Amino acid sequence: MLSRLSRIYPALSRVRLSSALGSRFVSQTPQSSASGASVPADLRPFAPPLQDSHGHAEVSPFDKNPDFHGFHHDEPIVDEWNMKLAFFFSISLVIVVGSTFIHYLPDHGMRQWARREAERLIVQREAAGLPVLTENYYDPSTIVLPSSEE
Amino acid sequence: MLKVLIPTIMLFPTIWLSSSKWLWTTTTMNSFLIAFISLTWLKWTSDTGWNASNSYMAADPLSTPLLVLTCWLLPLMILASQNHINSEPVNRQRMYITLLASLQTFMIMAFGATKIIMFYIMFEATLIPTLIIITRWGNQAERLNAGTYFLFYTLAGSLPLLVALLLLQQSTGTLSMLVLQYSDPLLLNSWGHKIWWAGCLIAFLVKMPLYGMHLWLPKAHVEAPVAGSMILAAVLLKLGGYGMMRMMVMLDPLSKQLAYPFIILALWGVIMTGLVCLRQTDLKSLIAYSSVGHMGLVAGGILIQTPWGFTGAIILMIAHGLTSSALFCLANTSYERTHSRTMILARGLQMVLPLATVWWFIANLANLALPPLPNLMGELMIITALFNWSPWTIIITGMGTLITANYSLYMFLTSQRGSIPEHITNLSPSHTREHLLMTLHLIPIILLMLKPELMWGWCN
Repeated sequence: MLSRLSRIYPALSRVRLSSALGSRFVSQTPQSSASGASVPADLRPFAPPLQDSHGHAEVSPFDKNPDFHGFHHDEPIVDEWNMKLAFFFSISLVIVVGSTFIHYLPDHGMRQWARREAERLIVQREAAGLPVLTENYYDPSTIVLPSSEE
Repeated sequence: MLKVLIPTIMLFPTIWLSSSKWLWTTTTMNSFLIAFISLTWLKWTSDTGWNASNSYMAADPLSTPLLVLTCWLLPLMILASQNHINSEPVNRQRMYITLLASLQTFMIMAFGATKIIMFYIMFEATLIPTLIIITRWGNQAERLNAGTYFLFYTLAGSLPLLVALLLLQQSTGTLSMLVLQYSDPLLLNSWGHKIWWAGCLIAFLVKMPLYGMHLWLPKAHVEAPVAGSMILAAVLLKLGGYGMMRMMVMLDPLSKQLAYPFIILALWGVIMTGLVCLRQTDLKSLIAYSSVGHMGLVAGGILIQTPWGFTGAIILMIAHGLTSSALFCLANTSYERTHSRTMILARGLQMVLPLATVWWFIANLANLALPPLPNLMGELMIITALFNWSPWTIIITGMGTLITANYSLYMFLTSQRGSIPEHITNLSPSHTREHLLMTLHLIPIILLMLKPELMWGWCN
């Protein structure tokens, strides 16, 4: 059965079943052939990680704490509280409440006010029989220029 | 301003007085609260556009998005560093977080400064914590070399700016941005004035960095720890763009002639750094060079001095800040498991960490400016403004866009697809913390699509 699956999905034969919780081991063996003889070899328990001359090995934090969230290696309680608080402050507070606050901010850049003001001026000018736009920004009659002698 | 600055300064006693068990928790939560308070800056209440707390510090539509980005990044840097700094002695952990908090303090004061000389002092002050982070917590022996490059490139560019600012003070009688924007244009016609013009901008062009003055950046990024890379890519480079936008107001008559070589360098840099990215083997170096290309577009947008150019520049700065920071976080998660930044030694990770691959995919799409993300909005505005300035630029910017898409996909395929190398035998799964970190980088980018006017700057 497994060998048939491995023909359909070659990746399956490459990933070993892991005995250690939370670690993913990748097989070093070549891809299994179609014969069923190689299946038991694929399901052998995996050897422990290699050790150096001092007997040190890389220990997964998941061995100490199967529910490790990546915050605190040694103490599961601190790890869990850190995770809960991080989610609350970041997602609930900043993202959700912050987005709501920003969404309901009044008239960013006073653009809506500018639109209302422009529409009011258009109505006012049309009622007075004036063109909506004139070539002069200021009314020329209000500008007092110095005389040629001055 | 003070409602954010004072809590940021109060982070220092919090860091040093917290119990070692809850150190990371308290600092992360405090910094998230500061980030939340910083959102109040987005409320636009004044007619002039400046929200001033006093005559020395104020926020306007240009600085506000950068200030909020700065405050948002501190908790993310603390979250990203938690795994690899946790094993160090507790006083070193406190020192590390203190340096990150001091960087935030300096940057709030830089972006919020109303006096250009105060901006300059804070601009220089950010060097010190960054240098310590790189040289003390970097990964290899080359970190000292990287620190030297970083320090001397930036200082060599900054000293002419100091002289230029003193000359400006002498000629106008003020260095207040609130006053200078209303002062008469300077009569700039001699060679001395042209050198003064260059002095005003070189510091910022080195900081961005402009292609040709960029050699410090890949070195600094490669050697820095994850928080150093995040803050450098996301905010410190933006100090350069922000400074340029502030100075261009005063440099008007000369910029029309003198900006040409810098625009050409910036646009040429987009293509060249893209081609360099296509041949990169080091993951962090690739992301660093991509930053040079994106900031080249920003420099081009600012130097042509059009409303669209300015708006596109600030949008791209914000979008790139979040995207590049996310990419450095992802590079770090890969490095923590495989202990290698060389892409060919850490490939095929989709098999082992499929959800991390989703984050890689989204971050890469943001990097190559997928519509409708703000990255594309910024790039399109700059490309349009440049095309309006000179139609020939479309050839360079078009090629740059294609190359960017190429190297982004190359980075994704090399790191995620293919067979797993034989030396990788044991990888721990992704942590909740890493997924949260990526969510907090990418949600703001997606939310900014819905309300882009928050980062349109002056040109509203």
